[in-house]
Amino acid sequence: MSDDLVLEMRDIRKEFPGVVANDEVSFEVRRGEVHALLGENGAGKSTLMNILYGLYRPDGGEIRLNGKPVSFSSARDAIQAGIGMVHQHFMLIPVMTVAENIVLGIEPHSGLLLDESGAEQRVRELSERFGLAVDPTALISDITVGQEQRVEILKALYRGADLLILDEPTAVLTPQEAGELFEIVRSLQADGKSIIFISHKLNEVLEIADRITVLRRGRTIETVPAQGATEESLARAMVGRDVLLRVEKKPAEAGDVLLAVQDLHVSDDRGIEKVRGISFDVRAGEIVGIAGVDGNGQTELIDAICGLQKIESGTVTIGGRKLTHASARAALDAGIGHIPEDRQRRGLVLEFSIAENIALHDYAKPPDAKWGWLFPARMVQRARTLIREFDVRGGGPYTRAGGLSGGNQQKVVAAREIDRDPSALIAAQPTRGLDVGAIEYLHRRLVAERDEGRAILLVSLELEEIMSLSDRILVIYEGEIVGDHTGDVSEEQIGLEMLGGKERAAA
Amino acid sequence: MSTWAARLDNPVSARLRDPAVSGFLGIFLGAFAAFLAIPPIEARTVTWPILVGIVAAVLGVWTVTRGRRRLGWGAVAAGVIGIALGIAATRSSTGNLDAVFDATLIAQTLGLTTPLLFGAIAGIFSERSGVVNIGLEGMMLMGAFWGVYGADRGGTWVVGLLVAAGVGGLLALVYAFFAIHLRSDQIVGGTAVNFLAVGITGYFFVQLYNNAPVPSGVSLLPNVHIPGIGHFLGAAIGDLNILTWAGFALVIVSYVVLFKTPIGLRIRACGEHPRAADTVGINVYAIRYGCVVLSGILVALGGMYLSEGPEGNGSFIFNMTNGRGFIALAAMIFGNWRPAGAFGAALLFGFSDALALKLQVYSPQAATMFRSLPYVLTLIAVAGVIGRTVAPAADGKPYAKQ
Amino acid sequence: MSDPGPTPSPEQSAETGTLAARLALKQRAGGIIVPIVTVLFAFVMSFIVLAATQRSFHTALLAFKEIFEGTGLNWIFHPTTNLITSIAAYNLSQTLLETTTLILTGLAVAFAFRCGMFNIGGQGQYLVGLIIANWVGVDFAGLNSFVHILLAISAGTLAAAAWAGIAGVLKATVGAHEVITTIMLNWIAFWFGEWLFGAGGPLQNSTDASNPVSNQVSPGARLPDFWGPQGFQGLHIGIFIALAALVVFWALLNRTTLGYEVRAVGFNPDAAAYGGINVKKNFIRAMAISGAFAGLAGALDMLGGTTNYQFGQLDIPFSQVGFLGIAVALLGRNTAVGTLFGALLFGALLYGTNHGLGSGSVIQPELAGNLTYIIQGLVVLFVGADILILYVWNSRKRLRRKPPAKSTKAAQAPA
Repeated sequence: MSDDLVLEMRDIRKEFPGVVANDEVSFEVRRGEVHALLGENGAGKSTLMNILYGLYRPDGGEIRLNGKPVSFSSARDAIQAGIGMVHQHFMLIPVMTVAENIVLGIEPHSGLLLDESGAEQRVRELSERFGLAVDPTALISDITVGQEQRVEILKALYRGADLLILDEPTAVLTPQEAGELFEIVRSLQADGKSIIFISHKLNEVLEIADRITVLRRGRTIETVPAQGATEESLARAMVGRDVLLRVEKKPAEAGDVLLAVQDLHVSDDRGIEKVRGISFDVRAGEIVGIAGVDGNGQTELIDAICGLQKIESGTVTIGGRKLTHASARAALDAGIGHIPEDRQRRGLVLEFSIAENIALHDYAKPPDAKWGWLFPARMVQRARTLIREFDVRGGGPYTRAGGLSGGNQQKVVAAREIDRDPSALIAAQPTRGLDVGAIEYLHRRLVAERDEGRAILLVSLELEEIMSLSDRILVIYEGEIVGDHTGDVSEEQIGLEMLGGKERAAA
Repeated sequence: MSTWAARLDNPVSARLRDPAVSGFLGIFLGAFAAFLAIPPIEARTVTWPILVGIVAAVLGVWTVTRGRRRLGWGAVAAGVIGIALGIAATRSSTGNLDAVFDATLIAQTLGLTTPLLFGAIAGIFSERSGVVNIGLEGMMLMGAFWGVYGADRGGTWVVGLLVAAGVGGLLALVYAFFAIHLRSDQIVGGTAVNFLAVGITGYFFVQLYNNAPVPSGVSLLPNVHIPGIGHFLGAAIGDLNILTWAGFALVIVSYVVLFKTPIGLRIRACGEHPRAADTVGINVYAIRYGCVVLSGILVALGGMYLSEGPEGNGSFIFNMTNGRGFIALAAMIFGNWRPAGAFGAALLFGFSDALALKLQVYSPQAATMFRSLPYVLTLIAVAGVIGRTVAPAADGKPYAKQ
Repeated sequence: MSDPGPTPSPEQSAETGTLAARLALKQRAGGIIVPIVTVLFAFVMSFIVLAATQRSFHTALLAFKEIFEGTGLNWIFHPTTNLITSIAAYNLSQTLLETTTLILTGLAVAFAFRCGMFNIGGQGQYLVGLIIANWVGVDFAGLNSFVHILLAISAGTLAAAAWAGIAGVLKATVGAHEVITTIMLNWIAFWFGEWLFGAGGPLQNSTDASNPVSNQVSPGARLPDFWGPQGFQGLHIGIFIALAALVVFWALLNRTTLGYEVRAVGFNPDAAAYGGINVKKNFIRAMAISGAFAGLAGALDMLGGTTNYQFGQLDIPFSQVGFLGIAVALLGRNTAVGTLFGALLFGALLYGTNHGLGSGSVIQPELAGNLTYIIQGLVVLFVGADILILYVWNSRKRLRRKPPAKSTKAAQAPA
């Protein structure tokens, strides 16, 4: 490994409406090294790489490839320059074979016909050379996710990539597959390729990388060799010591258990087990926060509790009532309230008015309806009250939900859920995409509801939010609870556990 | 394991025990049960069809127990229907049977298959690239009218072919613009195409020919006469139309293009995962436009067969296609979006139609039943009885380049 | 990962929204202007076609005038109830007869659209209503008139609802696309009718075995007409039933829990499921109700006509009322009021073009009939083009706020 730089990104700046994704970020990669890009969600890693790959144009700064300044206007330019990217979401065609997917667009041909055997031959050669074992004749729909990733890598190599960007590659892999991936990375490196490894998992990064650059809130914090770094030092750099938005709250007075989850196992739609034996309680009058990086099973956990996803084994008990079958209706009737993480897809019918949205769960019951006949006037009445109470701005009961701002939409959802007087309220990413005022409002509201005696389960990707609101913090990692804290605990500790750190803290 | 079990445990035997095999075998036997009672075998006792049909049903039940429920019930149904048809056939006199099931039935089948085949392959190209084409009916109709017009004013059927192809392609281009560029709803667009076609052909039919069948003497699409192949074959395939032979060639060519050439791979990629295709540099818009226009051209040629082929005699009737475009659509679906499958389906539907025509004299009831068969079969196919019919994944979804 | 945040832009909705959401967006974006403009545009284009082929603007103008008079809408200028002397009044009564049918087939398509489904099967469901109403109307001849009519209408409506329900069940259970299944069912219904009324069929005319024609509906089951000259087919009470259906449509959708569920499923099945609504059940229900409207149209037509319907010959195979319902619903933006006006327009066009030019002095009547198809096609074509409208919508908004982020991906600033 020499000081020969294959890539230099200097003072890159990228702004989106309302947020600076990259703020004078500098980043460089030496030839033949594995350089990890580390940071939390929202740190700016993907934006930076999308700029490099030609999908975004930077607002400022320059990029040099092998010493020469370059400017890409599309992915094709980047590919031609020798950059390959393996995205988190694969671009593979399930009904076609591995070989077909790899050669698509630059197919080898003899005359007018496809040279299928030639394609297979070349794919085999490539895969042998780099230790990427995969059957060229297999259909994508038949192979595992780990193999799919190898196909994506082969796609990049087939097009002559010298610099490979791997975006959160282990997010979809099992631990074994991750190990295999590392082997592949090492053999690619031995062949002279340079690799950028985007991740938020500390242990992996320390294992595979030569150097590590940490990004936080769009800025480069530090670039260190992996040699001297530890998980703690990296966690500190990632999470930092920023001032928290702490909400004024009195200590919790926990009462009965209103929501209990016992040894829960849930698989996602692809059949992969995402929740692997989770148990916890939430009591009346307490806020339990679940901290974790996106994709560690939170979504499936919540869906199972709310009756939207099948439970493989284990139990969910709401207000004393055990739920066995997946039924949203049953969960709702048992006393669950749910502020979903995707308010536009699941929480609201954007084309409905505010009043109609507020009625979404209970439109068939009095006072909104009787014997099948709807009474819109009563819906409107209730909506009016709630709009006032929750300070929803931007319209009245008849306003289309789609016409409200994100914050106000979320208030409508919260209003609906809270007004139903649920025993247990689940809030998933409740302040995602909201402005400061709306965030503040919702935080205060959640604490108020807690004081009223509700059991609140808060799931969030924002560590600050969890820390400021929760009375108890659970940390979820790869489908299991790896940390359970009450009272004071440091951010670094939580951060460490979120990222798979090995240190065990006293509860 | 006992020695018997050990002997049975080999790859061939495993293949045979695959429920899919028994299921399809059951369906085949059901058809065979009916086939037994018609010429050339013409069994006269009901025992044979019944026996074979029972075997088919048993195989079907066995398939169900092995897990392939839909396929199994399909085989059972085939067995029952086969028995019923076999019994019906044995009830008819041999004279009638001979009159219906002779060599000309084959020729008629192939003739009726032709427009369906062109339509189905046209649909395959369009849908494989990701654009649904409900407007096949309308484009076929345009071909039927403007083909005659071209042959009439241009003097020869060659001009007719060119005009038909041109008009079909043009209408398809308009549809493609709305569907691809404007990203409007493709079903709505296709329905509009059908309305437009009825209106345009009807209008100009009145305007140019005063609603009367086109003057005689218009150059027809020629038949291809094959001499010296014997009596039976001669009646069956010795005098088929040039477009029918073109249709056979089309099946082979379209298979090769779609599955053996680079462009075919790209077309299919656009229909399965346009985003993936885009990221590797394929121009999704261009490919979709090309395929839709091609589909318009092909189905219009098939439509021209209706008016300019041996049965049409060079005349056009208002709304001549009368649903054939939809049968072609059904054949495409039934054939699982593959040329060979579509060919098989078109043959089946063509056979059904030919049988209906022949039976008209003897039993109009049966004739009507056979006319509705294509639709019933497709309905069953879509319900997943005979395996899943799998459309290209991105079929019908407009693609927005980012 | 941080999320898109604000409401997706209209372009995003257009691509990602459900069918019902897209159509609703167009309705909001276009208001009443767009349908009117669309129709005018279609008229203008067909005027051009007519003028070009007749080589005379004058002829085309005359033809359009004759069509207008044929619709009977000019009756508005000289209202009179005397049908013998006023041709306009007679024409209007006939136009309204067509309108009756089109209101119902339009409602059928509109209701299904509201639930996010495309019911192209209106023609087949109409036929089923026609057939079953004929059967009940011919048999049970001894029944009291009111009961007989009620029975025939109900039977026809329910049968058609079941027919459409097949498509709904297939969609709910195996996910079969309703467009394909309803198209197949259309033709199955057609051939079923051919069989029933064809030579030797069970419902064929009992007195005339050589004609593939149905029996006449018994006089007791005929819908009484109230505005027509003696001996001719006048406007019957079916129009009131159709108008009532408009009200029922509106009430069902906006004032019942069923309607609430249907609309929610149509706009956002995910949110509906999250709200506790059974999405599959609603697919079946909506298709069945949709079919019921179309079947009602068929039943009314069968019981209202003085002639028996001829299967296998001219009337039934080429009757396009089911497909016209698609144009009516789309033009009327799937609302009750819109459907009414759409039905009026197309009813007028249908009758006006077919009969207004009967004398053949200006242009041949068949030309005009085909012109209707062209107009229909153009209307449906333009109505399906979301982007034109969204373009207009966006240019209005663009004047009021500063340009949005560069690309839709940019708005989803990921980490």
